[in-house]
Amino acid sequence: MKKQRGTMINLFYIPAIILFCGFVVYPFLQGIRLSFMNWNGYSQNMKFVGLKNYIRLFQDANVKTAFVNTLIYGVVSTIIQNILGLAYALFLNMNFKCRTIVRTIIYMPVMIAPLIMGYIMYFFFQYDGGAINDILIWLGKEPIDFLVNSNAAISIIVIVNSLQFVGVAMVIYLAGLQNVPAMYYEAAMLDGATFWDRFRHITLPLLMPAISSSTILNLIGGLKLFDLVMALTSGGPGFSTHSLSTLVTNQYFSAQSAGYASAIGIISFVLIMVISNVVTKYFDKKEIDTQ
Amino acid sequence: MKNKKILGLWKYLLALIIMVIHFVPIYMVVAIALKSPYDHSSRWIFPGYVYLKNIQTALERGGMLSALKNTVIISAVAVVLIVVIGAMAAYPLARNKSKLNNVVRGFIMGVMMIPPLSILVPLYSYMAKIGGINSYWGIIVTLLTFQLPTSIFLFSSFISSIPVALEEAAAIDGCGPFQTFFRIIMPQLKPVTASVIIITGVNCWNNYQFALYLLQSPKIKTVTLAIAGFFSADASNVNGAAAAAFLGILPLIIVFLFLQKYFIQGMVDSAIK
Amino acid sequence: MKKLLALTLAGIMAVSLAGCSQAPEEPGTENTTDNTVENTVDTSAQKQATSTTGVTLEFLYNLNGEAVSDAVQEVCRKFTDETGIEVEAVMPGSNFSDIMKTRMASNQLPDVWTTHGWAVARYAEYLAPLNDFSFASHIAPSIKGQITDENGDLYTLPIDVDLTGIVYNANVLDEAGVNADDILTWADFEDACEKVKALGKTPIQLGGKDNYTLGNMMDYVAPTLITNENEANENALLDGSFDWDNWNAVVDKIDFWNQSGYFNVDAVTADFMTGIGALASEQAAFMFTAASGITETYVQNPDTEMGFIPMPAREDGLRRSLMTGEHFAVGMSNSTKYPEEAKMFMEFLAREDICSYLATKCGMPSGLDNVTSDTGRLAPFYDKYANDSAILNIPYFDRKYLPSGMWNDLCVTGGTLLSNQADAKATVIEQMRTSYEEKKAQE
Repeated sequence: MKKQRGTMINLFYIPAIILFCGFVVYPFLQGIRLSFMNWNGYSQNMKFVGLKNYIRLFQDANVKTAFVNTLIYGVVSTIIQNILGLAYALFLNMNFKCRTIVRTIIYMPVMIAPLIMGYIMYFFFQYDGGAINDILIWLGKEPIDFLVNSNAAISIIVIVNSLQFVGVAMVIYLAGLQNVPAMYYEAAMLDGATFWDRFRHITLPLLMPAISSSTILNLIGGLKLFDLVMALTSGGPGFSTHSLSTLVTNQYFSAQSAGYASAIGIISFVLIMVISNVVTKYFDKKEIDTQ
Repeated sequence: MKNKKILGLWKYLLALIIMVIHFVPIYMVVAIALKSPYDHSSRWIFPGYVYLKNIQTALERGGMLSALKNTVIISAVAVVLIVVIGAMAAYPLARNKSKLNNVVRGFIMGVMMIPPLSILVPLYSYMAKIGGINSYWGIIVTLLTFQLPTSIFLFSSFISSIPVALEEAAAIDGCGPFQTFFRIIMPQLKPVTASVIIITGVNCWNNYQFALYLLQSPKIKTVTLAIAGFFSADASNVNGAAAAAFLGILPLIIVFLFLQKYFIQGMVDSAIK
Repeated sequence: MKKLLALTLAGIMAVSLAGCSQAPEEPGTENTTDNTVENTVDTSAQKQATSTTGVTLEFLYNLNGEAVSDAVQEVCRKFTDETGIEVEAVMPGSNFSDIMKTRMASNQLPDVWTTHGWAVARYAEYLAPLNDFSFASHIAPSIKGQITDENGDLYTLPIDVDLTGIVYNANVLDEAGVNADDILTWADFEDACEKVKALGKTPIQLGGKDNYTLGNMMDYVAPTLITNENEANENALLDGSFDWDNWNAVVDKIDFWNQSGYFNVDAVTADFMTGIGALASEQAAFMFTAASGITETYVQNPDTEMGFIPMPAREDGLRRSLMTGEHFAVGMSNSTKYPEEAKMFMEFLAREDICSYLATKCGMPSGLDNVTSDTGRLAPFYDKYANDSAILNIPYFDRKYLPSGMWNDLCVTGGTLLSNQADAKATVIEQMRTSYEEKKAQE
């Protein structure tokens, strides 16, 4: 009886699975097929070239740059978002007035489309009339061309992305903190534990599930970063700030190497999957250890 | 006593700094939106006059009103479906502990990780074949599919935390699985639903990539497309663009303010597996 | 929640009370061609208007600027009035060519679209030949070769023709003591740049964030150094045997300008509109952009004085050059569901009054020899250069000599040259060579 019931409720999967197969898996398989073609992206003619696109990809310095950038965008943003998000959550978990307003304002930028955020941020960092240079000039300093240096541009993209979406991590941690029973702290206080001790031995372990979901969410978001890069630097100077996603668009449309672009797309999917799986496994293990 | 007061002040000061940092982008949008295009003062300076022409430009030239209408329809329908289909799929995922479930879970994770651009052209061709271009349903189905994983995850962690006892009781009373789901489970999902609505709703509202290709007719343009049109390479009207951006963000902020109480509560209940 | 509202309101009130100064005045827009299609266009054939036919044509176009866009919409409305055929005219913005590529890939083309320089090289597979139209015999000779394939098939209707040189601000050049007409060679051009630099202004304005501005520069400079009056290079580029070491001429020239400080400080990170702003405020002298850049500049500052010069020659004794190409050119799908209606629309666009009206709105010479247009403040320049045999009339370099898809390489390598990285020059040559060989192999 129970067994049968379990099988019955599997029917609930059906609408979701149909959607996934129809609108994700099927086009994705087409994408895999394209990655074995030499194709300009618009003609009705394409040539099968086997693994040539994949071989080229591993020798392409621009792909390597985009690969490293993608890792930076994904990993560094995730670290900043989590540390800062946790700090914000701990702070907002304290007792003082107007916490709701602070929380709301931290979350607000999440609601701005990343593309629009990119355009707004360009107003900040542009050389001529940029908001930050206005301050520098006002302070009597020389204006700086922030985005000209690729390392600086990459850092700016990471910081903007982190600060925009730190609200998500914060909310997850705030939620997590509600589940740390106050009596644990009280007991620890009686034992004379310091703030750091309490944080390390009580808060952190109990927050493990929150850390895990926040990390995975931010990581996937960061590794797929697209709009912000397009709006701030369009991948330039040269190819130096491209992420894998923006490189795919560049190669697909501008360079008219659609087959090659598809291959890059597939590789970036594999990359995201491998990293996320490693991280998930790590957290699963960690959670079991701490329980 | 005095120490304690300083300690308290420190909190407010920190709160103020944090608020300023995170409020700056929105401040700048508003400041630019209300400025005349011929006002070349620093972007930090809030205009000392009232200038509403940019808003008018955004509404008339940018077609923001129809864009807002389209976006409301698309997001609302998409979100309703995301909630219902997501909650349904989350139910077996949370309740059945089997091999099949691990497969399904891995599959859903995989869908989350596909960069949308790598499937854009095949998706477009496919949509064109089934007549989904320039239609509400085409974009709705696409958004729905790509937001489903998030919804399923939030719902399934939440459902895991609901005791099974009620369902078992219902089963003994002769409730079928469908009845159980809609009568017993759904009503309990209220708080987490607020979180799902906010998170996926924001993503639907702000979607750019899919809308750009699937919606080319001006009649069906969405808010992000309208704003991006203003910002696009050769457009000279930065102030109109900012006004459009402001109009586009405003409804989201209002909805968020109303839902935020439930939102946090929903996260509390679901973030904890 | 309530507190928050109160706070926001209080904030807004505080700022709005802070100062009640006046909004700056809009500059008096000189009444440039404020004519509507109704009073310019011959109205005799009008108003016998018909009930709607139920047919809607889709027309995708990529012309920026409010004035032009409004004119296109108005012409489409007029067509509907006269024929009862609806036209949905769509301007998808800066992603136009990406969208067109997607639509070609899935064979879902609009009925009619603008071909922006690619009628033959990119769109021919999907376009209907237009040889049987009455306008086919009136195509301006300067553009005919570019929009006709080797079989003599004409693919697009050129409503106007782009005539492009280097755009300059006349007031800045005056102030620097430069006479634009004396710039005959790149050496003269560089002298002019030195003089502008001495004023403390920017000689050449670039907007590398919109990297097509860098592509433009490469595209404008390359023919003067590589292909103009050099048949060997022309043939080599076309047949695939080009030796890319020759490209060093282009690379060295741009590197020299960069080292000499001729570009704006933020050449890599500024955007196109920043450049227009710099020209409008008379802070920069030259810009590599089409004549539409001049129109944009006049929008921001109608009181300044703009012009354009032909591309200088590489050495004394050679001719200067101007680039001609499609600007507003319209092609018709070969798989449209409504061929008759699309034909009517094409004929309508080629009608003298309509074509003239549109070309005038673009401020460019018409592409049909039976149609004249008013090019407004640019008229003296078109008059001066149009029939000057001392000036070479050349096609856009990339469209003619490079395989489709290499435009991207021009844009990107332009950025590499400005980046000051150690091996920039070698990197550029290598990227151009590899990409050229790969794209040639695709053909």
